[in-house]
Amino acid sequence: MIPPGLAYIADNIITKGNLLGAAKGRGAEWAKDLNLPKQGETIFFAGCGHQYASELESLSSLIRRIDKSAVGTDVAFGLANFQKKVGIDVTRLYSRVTAAKGNPGAEPLRDAVKVLSRLGIKFAYLAEDEPCCGGPLHYMGLHQQFTQQTQKAYDRFKSKGVKRIISLVPSCTYTLRQLMANNVQNYDLEVKHFVEVVAENLSSLTLRFPREVKVTYHDPCQLVRFLNLTEEPRRILKAIKGVELVEPEWTKGAYATCCGGGGGFEAVFPELSEILAVNRAKELLATGAEIIVTPCPGCIMQLKAGLKELKASNVAVLDMTQIVAMSMEG
Amino acid sequence: MPVFNDYKKEIMDAAHNERIRLALSRAIASYRTNTNAALKKFPHTIQLAKEVKEIKAKAATQMEELVRIASEAIEFNHGKAYFARTADDARRIIGDLVGKDKLIVKGKSMTGEEIEIREYLEELGNEVYETDLGEFIIQQLHSRPMHIVSPAIHVPREDVAKLFDKITGEKHPPDDIAKMVETARLLLREKYVQAHVGMSGANVVAADTGTLFIIENEGNVRLSTGLPPVHIAIVGIEKLVPTLGEAFKVAEVTWRYANYTVPSYVSMVSGPSKTGDIEKVTTYGAHGPKEFHVIFLDAGRTELAKNPVLKQALSCLRCGGCLYECPVYAVTAGHFGDKCFTSVGAVWADFISKDREKAGAIAYTCLTCGRCKVRCPMEIDGAEMTVALRQLIEESASLS
Repeated sequence: MIPPGLAYIADNIITKGNLLGAAKGRGAEWAKDLNLPKQGETIFFAGCGHQYASELESLSSLIRRIDKSAVGTDVAFGLANFQKKVGIDVTRLYSRVTAAKGNPGAEPLRDAVKVLSRLGIKFAYLAEDEPCCGGPLHYMGLHQQFTQQTQKAYDRFKSKGVKRIISLVPSCTYTLRQLMANNVQNYDLEVKHFVEVVAENLSSLTLRFPREVKVTYHDPCQLVRFLNLTEEPRRILKAIKGVELVEPEWTKGAYATCCGGGGGFEAVFPELSEILAVNRAKELLATGAEIIVTPCPGCIMQLKAGLKELKASNVAVLDMTQIVAMSMEG
Repeated sequence: MPVFNDYKKEIMDAAHNERIRLALSRAIASYRTNTNAALKKFPHTIQLAKEVKEIKAKAATQMEELVRIASEAIEFNHGKAYFARTADDARRIIGDLVGKDKLIVKGKSMTGEEIEIREYLEELGNEVYETDLGEFIIQQLHSRPMHIVSPAIHVPREDVAKLFDKITGEKHPPDDIAKMVETARLLLREKYVQAHVGMSGANVVAADTGTLFIIENEGNVRLSTGLPPVHIAIVGIEKLVPTLGEAFKVAEVTWRYANYTVPSYVSMVSGPSKTGDIEKVTTYGAHGPKEFHVIFLDAGRTELAKNPVLKQALSCLRCGGCLYECPVYAVTAGHFGDKCFTSVGAVWADFISKDREKAGAIAYTCLTCGRCKVRCPMEIDGAEMTVALRQLIEESASLS
């Protein structure tokens, strides 16, 4: 009964080990020249959303085509058959993106590395061995598949000697911290989101944005309501000289409006998802901000689409890692 | 997946309907302002809600026992109490009580909506009038309610004016809302007097005294349950709490989160009208109804109470607060739902209406964003319920 768009994503995670169904190792390319250690007690967990950010748009357009076609769930499960039916070669679609120069989707990742390094934190990155947390399977209702995937991911961490995780995607963070803990035996990982780590070490950073700017903050659902991280991101933004934090009257913190991408929604109702993205973008635009900051790749994609629809080309959407990196002095 | 495809089409049609979006954006802004003001004026409500959460959670574990106690109390008060295991049972009981060729005035009731009692009574050859203004509009438009508290929330004033023009043959300017209200008042007034039966639901029921609490503002419930000679109430068994004191608490939290500082009326009905004014001889049937019938409906609620996650839905006060916080509801209104809306609506569709395909379709329309829980006085975790329901549906599908 799972809607086809979700079934497709589930199939990707189960058979390819990532949300996008991309080839193994693709996701680690952003870090090629950074020479990060590949094993250590503390790791940086990049997550599918960031690692495959440049492919996310292709996935959306694919899902929109699924939405318009008459594909049933059973067909979506079973990739080869499915692709034939939709008439798209996914591998070629992705390779075209790969060939394009640069990878703007990787900026938040490289900036995260820059910030964490500045804080003097020693960490490794599992690169092509980074497992998919499996979170989307949980939200789809595929409990058995989720417990298998999360166990697989946990075993991978254990085999690499991981004890602490600094995670960047809110959904992965909640999965690794809470859902994994609920579903594996003897769970003993310490999982923190990037904003927690930065907020804890804020005093060791001098932050100044290159100019005076009004910034608004968009709370990702899982970060604010599932992980209860409301104050930390605001503390970071307020510590940046030159930044004036402006927020919507009602829809902030625990009452922040979802960007419309929640829980794989864009894979079931791509069109409606965009309407919701526009609604949220409107609420944020009303603050008069020039920059929208949010620490979630899904929200970033949605809000960018919303702003595009509203023709608000003068407003930028940045990941938290980016604004912090841009504001680091020296 | 024909159900899902039809449903998806319905959802998308609604999402492209600018009028729904406009009506709702106004409603959301006013809900937030009003509720904020009401909670500021009566700040104890927040603590009271926590207490009510415990009361409701506990009551959901003893529903059968509470039905027994309440039924005894109602019979003691010279009313009649009935237990309906299924929606069919409830319809049959009510049908037998009403018969045919009767005029019925009805207050708004989600449980009545659930068992489609109006349609059933009409099929039997009765004339039924919805008396809540919103429900009256919906009935006349042959539409269905799109909100718990404000069923006609998706209908703009221009459409109401046109409808009333048609009914009365008189012109209603769209900006003269007072005139539309007056039209409904005049139209329904005579029906209350002529009606053979008045029907209502209840927001909460005190088992110890057998007292039904019915919250309203329009006065239509007072008239519907006060003027006709017979009052029939249909109540889901999740509405029962042990004592009168607890029922007061539930009622206050319900109306406050439904954005009222205080409603105009709260009717407390425990039995038929009576008098002892002539030599202290108690005589039943004074100015109010001579007969008082209460039908307690299970229809899957006992089964629902056994599910560790989904039983939360039984605590729902039907205040409607969550709906104003749901980003999907904001553009689709009640199309995101069935008899009830959003995630509670999905649970209701599965356990109460036993329509699994519909339940699945609604469940996959939930963002799992979790904002409904922040608003909910009972802290019902909509996202958690959605995921649990998806799991339940998936597991049963892979078994079959």
